[in-house]
Amino acid sequence: MAFSSDLDQITRAAAGDPAAVRALVNRYSPGVLSLATRMLSDRGEAEDVTQETFIRAWKALPGWEPRAKFSTWLHRVALNLCYDRLRKRRESLPGELPDLADTRLAPHEALDQSQRVRAIEQAISALPERQSAALTLCALQGHSQAEAAEIMDVSVEALESLLARARRTLRAHLLEGSQSA
Amino acid sequence: MTEDRLIELIEAWGADPSAFPDAERAAARALLAAHPERFAAAIAEARVLDAALARMPDVLPSPALTEALIASAPKPKRAAGGFRLPKFAPWAPASGVAALAAGLFMGLMVAPTASADSETDDVQALLEEAIGYDPAALSEGIVE
Repeated sequence: MAFSSDLDQITRAAAGDPAAVRALVNRYSPGVLSLATRMLSDRGEAEDVTQETFIRAWKALPGWEPRAKFSTWLHRVALNLCYDRLRKRRESLPGELPDLADTRLAPHEALDQSQRVRAIEQAISALPERQSAALTLCALQGHSQAEAAEIMDVSVEALESLLARARRTLRAHLLEGSQSA
Repeated sequence: MTEDRLIELIEAWGADPSAFPDAERAAARALLAAHPERFAAAIAEARVLDAALARMPDVLPSPALTEALIASAPKPKRAAGGFRLPKFAPWAPASGVAALAAGLFMGLMVAPTASADSETDDVQALLEEAIGYDPAALSEGIVE
């Protein structure tokens, strides 16, 4: 089914139009799930966050006013739910400081493609949470600078700073890993 | 655009200038084109990470998750105050009565006619057989 606009699609979904609901889910759930998976590094928790995000979306739709893009709003909800879960993880492990996971490969391990992907996934999720979010939104999901900044509720300048630190950390960690392999 | 600023852009946004902020992109391209050797190392480092990130697979929802998300959505609302068909149609009994009446009417119209006298005689004979005497004769005092 074709929708004349995002607002049309949202309005129909709010009224329970099955085609509009399915279209919204198909359009936005991959991005939400991807963000949550990169942030939490746990598929089960990421699916929980995705479901909670959409439940909030369904509640918000009847009164939806297009002040922000629906995509931006949805990703912001998902990101805040991820922050909540990460905070609870930290609180449940008092005294333990967040640390980078050891993504370096052992010397006997061949650097095949799947291992490289896994190492990068682990390194991204081990970054400080705002750096991880910035990198995921910009480098992996292709959000525009303005949209990523809005999702994260930071300025574009702050986003750039987070990205630079994330990339620097990631590059150093992966280079270190490949040299030790 | 200074050289230091261009290095910052590469470190933050990667090797492709199309990812740089709009306001600085043109100046960054110009400086890169003018002095490519000064930024070659930064570009090469950025490209390694860009390529690694580009190889990351998409994370796709499972069919089960997709269906769960759809199932959690609002259900279609019925129009408030509008006419709608109830599950049980109140006119169903009335239509049955109408059909019965029509059937009776048609039956009366097409049934073979019989004389009132012959019907009376038949009823009389049945009564006599059932009770063993003629009630008409009893009423006239001629019971044997």
